[in-house]
Amino acid sequence: MPEAISVVLIIVPFLAALASLLTRSSACRSFLVITTVCGLATCSLLLQASPACGGKWAGIIAPLIAGGDFLLLAVMFFLGCRYRHPLIVMLTAGQLALFAWLEFSVFAGGSHGPALFAVDALSLTMVRVVCIVGGLICLHALPYMQAHERHLQLDRSRQPQFFAVLLLFLGAMNGLVLTNHLAHFYFFFELTTLCSFLLIGHDNTDEAVAKALTALWMNGLGGLLLLLAIWGLYSQSAMLDMTGLVATAGGHGAAMLPLVMLLLAAFTKSAQLPWQKWLLGAMVAPTPTSALLHSSTMVKAGVYLALRFAPALAGTLLAQGLVLAGGFTFVAAAALAIGQRNAKKVLAYSTISNLGLIFACAGIGTPAAVAAGMLLILFHAVSKGLLFLCVGTAEQQVHSRDIEVMRGLCAIMPVTAMISVLAALTLIVPPFGMLLGKWLVFEAGADNIVFYLMLVLGSSFTVLYWVRLAGTLLAGGETAAARAEAQPLLTRWPLAVLACGAVLLVLGAPALHGRLLAALAPLFGPMTAFPAGPPFAAGRAGVLLTAQGAFPLASLFVAAALVALLALAAARQAMAGKKGRAYLAGANTELPDHFRGPMNRPVRAVVENYYLAPLLGEKRWTRWVNLAAAGLLLFMLGGGLWP
Amino acid sequence: MAVMRTAVIALAVLWAATLLGGLLSGLDRRLTARLQARRGPPLTQPFWDVIKLLAKERVVTNPWQAFSPVATLAAAATALVLFVCQGDLLVILFVHATGGVFLVLGAMASPSPYSQTGGQRELWQMLCCETLLFLFAGALYLTTGSFRVSGVLALPEPLLDRLPLLFLAFLFALTVKMRKSPFDLAGSHHAHQELVRGVYTEYAGPHLGLLEIAHWLEVMLYLAICSLFWATNVAAMILLPLAAFGAVIVLDNVAARLTWRWMLGRGWAAVFAAAALNLFWLKG
Amino acid sequence: MGLVDKLIGTARRRSPWLLHFDCGSCNGCDIETLACLTPVYDVERFGVVNVGNPRHADILLVTGTVNHRNREALAVLFEQMPEPRVVVAIGACGLSGGVFREAPNVVGGVDKVIPVDVYVPGCPARPEAIIDGVVLAVEKFREKSKEMGEGR
Repeated sequence: MPEAISVVLIIVPFLAALASLLTRSSACRSFLVITTVCGLATCSLLLQASPACGGKWAGIIAPLIAGGDFLLLAVMFFLGCRYRHPLIVMLTAGQLALFAWLEFSVFAGGSHGPALFAVDALSLTMVRVVCIVGGLICLHALPYMQAHERHLQLDRSRQPQFFAVLLLFLGAMNGLVLTNHLAHFYFFFELTTLCSFLLIGHDNTDEAVAKALTALWMNGLGGLLLLLAIWGLYSQSAMLDMTGLVATAGGHGAAMLPLVMLLLAAFTKSAQLPWQKWLLGAMVAPTPTSALLHSSTMVKAGVYLALRFAPALAGTLLAQGLVLAGGFTFVAAAALAIGQRNAKKVLAYSTISNLGLIFACAGIGTPAAVAAGMLLILFHAVSKGLLFLCVGTAEQQVHSRDIEVMRGLCAIMPVTAMISVLAALTLIVPPFGMLLGKWLVFEAGADNIVFYLMLVLGSSFTVLYWVRLAGTLLAGGETAAARAEAQPLLTRWPLAVLACGAVLLVLGAPALHGRLLAALAPLFGPMTAFPAGPPFAAGRAGVLLTAQGAFPLASLFVAAALVALLALAAARQAMAGKKGRAYLAGANTELPDHFRGPMNRPVRAVVENYYLAPLLGEKRWTRWVNLAAAGLLLFMLGGGLWP
Repeated sequence: MAVMRTAVIALAVLWAATLLGGLLSGLDRRLTARLQARRGPPLTQPFWDVIKLLAKERVVTNPWQAFSPVATLAAAATALVLFVCQGDLLVILFVHATGGVFLVLGAMASPSPYSQTGGQRELWQMLCCETLLFLFAGALYLTTGSFRVSGVLALPEPLLDRLPLLFLAFLFALTVKMRKSPFDLAGSHHAHQELVRGVYTEYAGPHLGLLEIAHWLEVMLYLAICSLFWATNVAAMILLPLAAFGAVIVLDNVAARLTWRWMLGRGWAAVFAAAALNLFWLKG
Repeated sequence: MGLVDKLIGTARRRSPWLLHFDCGSCNGCDIETLACLTPVYDVERFGVVNVGNPRHADILLVTGTVNHRNREALAVLFEQMPEPRVVVAIGACGLSGGVFREAPNVVGGVDKVIPVDVYVPGCPARPEAIIDGVVLAVEKFREKSKEMGEGR
């Protein structure tokens, strides 16, 4: 059963993408996308864990994927030639040659046929994130792209391609997380690269194409590194079975080289410093693209790969380096986010920062840390997807990404603004999921003082930029006078579902955490320096217990719910009473945020946030941060190769 | 039954903390007056202020001004209850920070530039004091192997011996939290001329009253954390926070206010580095 | 009148927070008003706090004449004070416009714009007179609280 569902989860998006490419009617396309997404979501929920399966499909799928690989690389090579981008040409040519050599002479000789799929708690979580969060983003894209194209005034709709690529992307991600065959993993990995290129460059402006090419070459480099890693791993143990490799890979000195390559590939995919440029550039794309890239697909592929191979790293110097590199990204990206007044860039830096934290989890390398990393992936996907959809909708309305222009958004778009504020709160406030995950990381990583300092600083920065963003959206709005804006059903429902998810999903966290731990613990053999006994016991009802502390989840959640009700009642009561005007030194006018200036004219009281641009500006720091990050990567490399 | 007992304990603790926090606030005003060669108000003055505020008219410019005080007070109360239950210090600090988040949101929701600037500064102040407390939590873990408050109470020796620099850092954080000079940029009692009352400007009447109570509870939490520095005997657990409290008031009266550049660039950076050094020393 | 109302009344008497607004004064009355708030008189003994924000104030002290330019500011500040509230007009100008009452830009005394509860005469008013006025205002503050209580 699991193998059939797995095949469906991978094949159906491909077929749907093909169908979308062929339909020009928007009603048909909507129907197609809705049914596909619903189907995928249902399948992902039906899927159950199974150690290794799908042997009987190998005969059909393996040649298909090998052929697909050549096609994919050829397309990328062609793109490189067409846009005269020597780097892409070189990188893809290198991949093509290496892959052909591997496929025809190296792999052909070895023992073939690892089980096609391996579904454990990790991949199960990822599949659900991809299908449900990613699916909701696809649904949200339907009305969004209509408005987007109206705005661009295109002669011929380009939506068929767009939705084809979106669906293809979901399929590629499903394949990537479900497969157990490393060469197939490479195929899906490269497929997400190509999809991201097509999505980023979708608007076909010069800027979009340039940014898309940046993404293509950086991820092309990642692909090459992954291929080298596969070659290295295969030459060590003569197998491509991922489950097996996780157990056997690693060692000392040069034997660690493939794992280093693997991590570097994951770093490029997840846009870690110093490769953040492509993700920041990806912001030119229509919002559904950014939402998809940031929350449920693409960048999550990199961290997933690192978490998957975390058992192989555990206890090595390489892992120590990974902790520091991830922690550094966590702090540095958060600090850069503080200096940003472009809302979408704040979101982008925050994604990079959180992914750094997840990489660090992989480096800490205890089952508890890896499980915390998975929880972070899940909760980050939901909250960040929600935020992206909101900010994108706001951007469509105010035609700017500047936070200062979005000031007081709640007066124009109260629903969108309130959901954004809620989403931002779910990222920083207990008892919600992101904070729970962060708490687990704090507890798991406190032994490393440098990392602990990074955690403390990074978390504080995170609180600062989110509260500032949320506060700016609320600023000065006459919320009472504002009417809820009209939204198409397909905009409202995905937002509503994601918002409920962001608030309520944390209730399932203890169970999920337990399941992840149970799945992970056997992978970390006796080699981990993990204290004996259960690291995590389901203690009293609703309390998450770790070796170091306790998180009273149920009581905090109940308390938060009660307080929210009470505070809402207080707000309602206060709004029913007398309403005052804001304090403007007595010089108020009829307009809420204007004071009476010279000649009795109203002047807008302008306050801007402290961005500390001279202190934390992107221009000033990017180069140094990149240098430091590159230094840390070298350190990681050195740590990995140290005998 | 266990739930009932916890509820009773929680209520008792909150009641006592409110009374004590109010009295301490009165003591603060009286000490300050004495340092300025005045007599000052009676010790009970803060209670009269709060009762008066609670009985005033409710006027708001937007719903967040009513929402936030409730959330802030609830966060402060929850954090204190968790502390008394000897819970996880990290969770306590997270919950405590939530109160600040809502305070700032309410302040930023008003179009008043005074309130908004106050909110921004409050965020930077939160950054300053929360980070230092998290470092203390880290020190707690390094010494006891657990983030639980209960771990400290079982230690044979006072933590202060091993955490002198962190104690200095804690004093810095306490000064910020009590809104005292030189680190009182966001909403100090003396900021009327520059920022009106900064982050508190737009909260009026009952809402201000609730925030005042929340502030007492927050200061009580800080003093409770302070007592952990010498948790081996009861007298020290009372005297050390009182001494810290007195030191902050003296500092308030001899120091002029700094700008945020100074607070972040020199003050906090130096103190954070010292506290971090203390952590390495603890481990090494 | 219940215990709660009594408690609230006492609290109001013991915690009057002042807002001082210079409406158009020659600064004579301002200097005297601020002199009352110096440590010499130490009005904080009685719970008096000089606040800078109408939202937090209970008693509004106004010095100087009202002119056409600042009458709106005066009205807004008064409007922003939550009930119950008391207004004290200080000095000859605040009472009636003083020597400036015939000037073309002058509206007149404070009570032309907002209701005044206590009048403190003098040019300038002496600190003792101002303190007397504030004490009277505190009584009025309590009385208003009774009215509010009955209105409930």
